[in-house]
Amino acid sequence: MRFAVGLAVGSALAIGLAYALLAAERRQASSARYERLAVVRLRALTEAVEKFRVPSEEGLQPLLIAWKARLPGSPPARVVATQGIRLEASTFPQDVGDKAAPRRLEREEKPLFDQAARLRAAVETNRSEGALRAEEIEITKKPSGGLRLACPVERDGAVVGMVQMETPAASGRIRPNAAVALLSFAAPVALFFLLSRVAGERKGVLALLAVVLLAGALAFYALHSLRVLETDRRELETAVAEETRAQAAALPSVLAAVSASPAIHPETWDSDEFRRPRSLVKADGNLDEERLRHELGSRAAQAGKALAGVGALAMAMLAFVGFGGAARLGATLCKNREAYLYITPAILGMIVLVFFPFFYGIAISFTDQTIYTTSKPLSEIFVGLTNYAQILGDFHIARRAADGALVFNYLNFYWTFLFTVVWTICNVTIGVTVGLMLALILNTPGLALRPAYRVLLILPWAVPNYITALIWRGMFHQQFGVINQMIQIFGGQPVSWFEKPFTSFLTALTTNGWLSFPFMMVISLGALQSIPGEIYEAARVEGATRWQQFRAITLPSLKPALIPAIIISVVWTFNMFNIIYLVTAGEPAGSTEILITQAYKFAFQKYRYGYAAAYSVVIFLILLIYGTIQNRATKATEAI
Amino acid sequence: MKPFRLALVAVAFAFAGALAAEAAEIVVWHAYRAEEKEAFEKVVAQYNASPAAKGNRVTTLAVPYDAFADKITAAVPRGKGPDIFIYAQDRLGGWIEAGNTVDPIDFFLDKPTRDRFIPTTLEAVTYKGTVYGLPLNYKVITMIYNKKLVTTPPKTSGELVATAKKLTNQKAGRFGLAYSYADFYYHACLMNGFGGGVFDAKNRPVLNSPQNVKAMELLMKWFEKDGILPAEPSTALITSLFNDGKAAIVFSGPWFLGEIAKGVDYGLALLPTLDEAGGKPMRPWMTVEGVFVTSPSKNKDAAYAFAKYLTDLPAAKVLAIEGRQTPSNKAVYNDPQVARDTVLQAFRKQVDVAVPMPNLAEMTMVWSPATTAMNTITKKAATPQAALDAAQKKVEADIAGLRKRP
Repeated sequence: MRFAVGLAVGSALAIGLAYALLAAERRQASSARYERLAVVRLRALTEAVEKFRVPSEEGLQPLLIAWKARLPGSPPARVVATQGIRLEASTFPQDVGDKAAPRRLEREEKPLFDQAARLRAAVETNRSEGALRAEEIEITKKPSGGLRLACPVERDGAVVGMVQMETPAASGRIRPNAAVALLSFAAPVALFFLLSRVAGERKGVLALLAVVLLAGALAFYALHSLRVLETDRRELETAVAEETRAQAAALPSVLAAVSASPAIHPETWDSDEFRRPRSLVKADGNLDEERLRHELGSRAAQAGKALAGVGALAMAMLAFVGFGGAARLGATLCKNREAYLYITPAILGMIVLVFFPFFYGIAISFTDQTIYTTSKPLSEIFVGLTNYAQILGDFHIARRAADGALVFNYLNFYWTFLFTVVWTICNVTIGVTVGLMLALILNTPGLALRPAYRVLLILPWAVPNYITALIWRGMFHQQFGVINQMIQIFGGQPVSWFEKPFTSFLTALTTNGWLSFPFMMVISLGALQSIPGEIYEAARVEGATRWQQFRAITLPSLKPALIPAIIISVVWTFNMFNIIYLVTAGEPAGSTEILITQAYKFAFQKYRYGYAAAYSVVIFLILLIYGTIQNRATKATEAI
Repeated sequence: MKPFRLALVAVAFAFAGALAAEAAEIVVWHAYRAEEKEAFEKVVAQYNASPAAKGNRVTTLAVPYDAFADKITAAVPRGKGPDIFIYAQDRLGGWIEAGNTVDPIDFFLDKPTRDRFIPTTLEAVTYKGTVYGLPLNYKVITMIYNKKLVTTPPKTSGELVATAKKLTNQKAGRFGLAYSYADFYYHACLMNGFGGGVFDAKNRPVLNSPQNVKAMELLMKWFEKDGILPAEPSTALITSLFNDGKAAIVFSGPWFLGEIAKGVDYGLALLPTLDEAGGKPMRPWMTVEGVFVTSPSKNKDAAYAFAKYLTDLPAAKVLAIEGRQTPSNKAVYNDPQVARDTVLQAFRKQVDVAVPMPNLAEMTMVWSPATTAMNTITKKAATPQAALDAAQKKVEADIAGLRKRP
């Protein structure tokens, strides 16, 4: 029975998702078709404008009028010139009478001028950087449903304006065939019921049967989807080729009407947003069959991968329900209804404040988002595990320089990781040792002025560590810092602390040591005071020395308090951003950076958000593994 | 009579309502404090009362400086920001690339408005050929000297070294010249003087160009051979040295003047010319504070009208005399009261040879490698050429990481 339900659920999920994917693909194909037809028209017109030398005073207006006449059904278009902030020509219905082109742009038309300037900057950026980063054709959707497209106009190698076109809203939506989907859903369930009568009650056989039926139904629907998609695509490309041919046929007569007849290049009209021709349409307006087959093949492969993913999900669902997982989950939820209700507000809060940003960070780490691409949807800039590969796969930690000395690559992840580990171990050791010692001293019975000592020793922790870091940095100044002056008083040579990695490390270590011992001291003091004095009495009577008492009684009693404190301290020190950033700032040359300051620099100085997110996820995983291992190994959270 | 009076009142209300409906409220964010803030608010009040406002009201909000840039980045693109904000131009590139933050004002800018500014300040608020704001004021570093120790300020680098050597006693902690030479911003006056720079005309980094290397070598000559500079210069150190009379000449900007102790008699002079560069002047970077109109603003026309008023002569006078700013408006320096102010005139002369600080988004990735290079060079851990080569490689790698497209 469970398998029947599992099969039904899995099948519903799979077919439902596949249907949704197919619908989305068809919608995308139809809007892509609409866009590409519009782009072909736009680029054809732009080429005409570029080739047209303006002889008369009416400027470009006659060209646009001729174009509108020879190509009925053309959407309204306008030509904006950046020099002089002018509207050179327009076939928009509102630009008639005293608003007829050519004229200067009005105040409300500032966005047009800004768009022309933006396109010019985009073309120049792409040229000077040698990479295609900025969009050269802008396509935006109007709220009323049509498209607004703009393309830059180049004369003699410089952008002098733009052509803008507005297309009306597209009509109709193509929905995929629901009947096929329902059939693919219902058939395996029905077949399962029939065959299970025959197969009996054995779990293994039923499971196998369900899997086979599900796979079969999915395969059938997948093939259907792929066929539909291919037909769609072919139709799209044929339509684009037809439009190109139509425009190529009409344009010469348009140009002739305004006494210009230069050569036109129809194969450049079907292009992407960087004005690169897609090369699916040849110069004579026919489809390039070879490339089309190649395109279709790669698209089919992509679709296949998506459907395979859906299939895997469905199988997982089938297994989950079929083997009783869902039933158990339902029973637990039902039994502890009240408890779940009580924690629902907290869960919601944590989802919004903790889990959502956390998972969003993980999502970004799989993209190469930078400051230039913050507004792009994540699926467009997806790069998979490239960031992780770059971080974890770079083993160039050191190399031999010309004179034989070892030169370390301080930007390398493993160097920084090693340094962070050394930093953490040293700090926690110092913190625990000093803290424990002071706690033992403070715990001596009959100590005078104990409250005063306690307050003074908490002060390092109480002062904001930002200020502490800056003061210590000043104290380590080479000529005027207190530390060097004290060294000189004792007859030593002043040290240039931030010149070498080791001395720089010592400055940060000192500062953090000063900051972290109060925490350990407080924890130790609390734990020490909870050890009953009778145990020590008994030990002394038995003849144990102070050291034996310490090892046998004090340390084990401190374990439940100290170990969690150490775990916390390790995590804090591992991520101690303030001290490293403010005291050494990574000096010299980035050798004293820890993982978290590196991630910060990647994010906010180099603006590489995706890479920095991947870095942060790696830090998280390291600490997670450490915490789990430490917890298990020491059974720290169990009381003695 | 009653219905007639009621009708009259109704008409009056409708009229007032119509008028009120036309008046827009412009919100301005700024990071000014103390006297600058008072001068700024005085200008705003003058504007609100003047006929130029056409019934629009300008309200101001002072946002703390540390949080300002982040607030603009976060709030403005989401439509929750002001209509105008006033900030330095060095983060302009980043905001423009992020989109929907700063609006270009080329459309409104006419020739008379263009001509009222010192040309280099207008360049500073131009990004990739489009003007994005109106320059309000500028800050440059210039030579500040202790009049008791230095009677005539040096005009060339040769004179500078000679004067400084006489006043230097390293053991006593006295230095002839003190400035934050390890900070790339301050070193830029040497670098630009030799004709070097960070980016070339095609926005490619050129940190290791021969001119930059020459500039570094000159700096090391001053530090090592001539011994006129202190080691590990931090701004706090420079200030305390100058105030104790242990530093004769300092290269710094208007922010330094507020920290000079009362008893020190200081003077300002033009940065010396570089003998080693054939007598060319030292060209410091100028940071221009611009008035920017935000993209989501609903009253861009009115906002621009206020920006125009703010950079015009009457407002510039108030900001110069009472706010102690150095406006980008050319004409204000001819005003008699401003002409008498030696500090303002000194900065005005200095800005003529200043270079606008690069406003590209990629500039933020230059600071860290450049500072590393400066530290390596001044600690003699590497030669200028080697350190600059390393910095150039790092910057190129970072920029490639940012600019690449899959």
